Amino acid sequence: MYKKEEVILKVEKVFLNYDRPILRDINFEIHNITRPGMQQGQVVSLIGRSGIGKTQLFKILSGLLEPTSGTVRIDSDLHPVSAGEVGVVPQNYILFNHRSIFNNLKIGLNGSVNKLSDKQKTELIHDYADKFGLKEHLKKYPMQLSGGQRQRVSIIQQILTGNKFILLDEPFSGLDPIIKDKVVELLLSISTLSELNTLVIVSHDIENALAISDTAFILANQDHKEGSTIIETIDLMQMDLCWNPEIKKNKNFIELVAQMKYRM
Amino acid sequence: MNLLRKIFDPLTEINNKTFSILVIIDVCIALSVWHFLAVGGLIPTPIKIVQSVIRILSSNSFYDNLFISLSLTTKGMFYSIIIALIICYLSLIPIFNPIAKFIIKCRYLTLTGLIFLFTLLTSNGHNLKMSLLIFGIVPFFVTSFLSIIDNINEQEYELCKTLRMSNWRTLLEVVIIGRLDSVFEVMRQNFAIAWMMITMVEGLNMSEGGLGTMLIKSNKYIDLGTVFAILVIIFTIGVCFDYLLKQLRFWFFPYTKLQLRK
Repeated sequence: MYKKEEVILKVEKVFLNYDRPILRDINFEIHNITRPGMQQGQVVSLIGRSGIGKTQLFKILSGLLEPTSGTVRIDSDLHPVSAGEVGVVPQNYILFNHRSIFNNLKIGLNGSVNKLSDKQKTELIHDYADKFGLKEHLKKYPMQLSGGQRQRVSIIQQILTGNKFILLDEPFSGLDPIIKDKVVELLLSISTLSELNTLVIVSHDIENALAISDTAFILANQDHKEGSTIIETIDLMQMDLCWNPEIKKNKNFIELVAQMKYRM
Repeated sequence: MNLLRKIFDPLTEINNKTFSILVIIDVCIALSVWHFLAVGGLIPTPIKIVQSVIRILSSNSFYDNLFISLSLTTKGMFYSIIIALIICYLSLIPIFNPIAKFIIKCRYLTLTGLIFLFTLLTSNGHNLKMSLLIFGIVPFFVTSFLSIIDNINEQEYELCKTLRMSNWRTLLEVVIIGRLDSVFEVMRQNFAIAWMMITMVEGLNMSEGGLGTMLIKSNKYIDLGTVFAILVIIFTIGVCFDYLLKQLRFWFFPYTKLQLRK
């Protein structure tokens, strides 16, 4: 049982041109999904091949890049997005190398709308570090962490700013299969931390992106037209292929992944 | 055999012990070549230079001159860094950017042509030396530091935006605090320029003394043993400062050690 409530992110007629069209007429919506008796956030995937313009779309969605035309609106009042309203976890998990992990997380809290005392900040950081297996790394510097650990710090840093929308650029890239499964678990747990938490995953890893998502948008080129656009929307809720930890073993899911790989 | 192959193989990592052995071998070869070339009497032999070094080190006037040179260099470096950092940080504000660009180009100005102007502008020999030193160091320091600022990953600025930092806060976090360790590295590189210039500017005004004055006087009397001995002392002090600044960087900013290739 689930319900699609109000629209919380709306992308309308987004075009991006440099010396040639990169993105063409991008339109999609993300709804607030509710499920009785639980906090169910949204996990949406933007899937496309490498070099298709995913990262550019990612920057437009986060307000870091102005599209040539079109708008991205967020929240229930659908106001135009501006930088800082959407958390971003880039592919190479950029952190401040001159700060310890604790201070990297604290900087996230410093930018938060909710003003907390230093003691409250410390408690909150320790809470999250404990929850996501980073407690023994708080005094270390980013260079001392593995890729997976840096990714977790990067995600938590963005959560601590209080952003409900978090964009993740290729979160499964360069990780081994076991760590990928852990990332899937981590993202699912973040999506259920709050009803309005919305993760937008930009990825070319079809299997893992679909395994975690409730909705997926396929970004691709169309014949004889320059610039990529959304060519298909996959509603995994309707197909009963989401919120299932064992989904990768499901026959229908395996078929869907195979079909998507073939079509892309 | 494996070790021999290793030391000639590019990008091979060697341990500290091997490195020390290589340094000792290189020094021995260099001294042997030097000794061989010095037999004709054109340049003093290493032994003669060592004897001159001992003689200089045992004279009281040397320490006065050393102190004068060191204090002038340190003061010159201090003022140059302050001026250069202000120029570099201000260069990120569009209105000040052309000034920084112009100062970078000042590297191509020769000091010799400006000595007369600086002499008119300054009240005494000490100030003349100091202003020439600063004018000589600042363009190089600004060039090095601006190239570090230019190479900052765009994503660091984007991270600040997503963390809701203002442009001023971003400047503080990414450029000022985030690159403070690089200031030490640039300082280390530019100390060499300052140290090299000190002998030149001290030659312009010899009333205060200094290692540069010692060097010029010895040159005048073609006392090559003393000239080479002073050069060895200047070189050794420079190398010690280089090491000290490197260690200070690691001490103040421990994370910089993690970024180094071993």
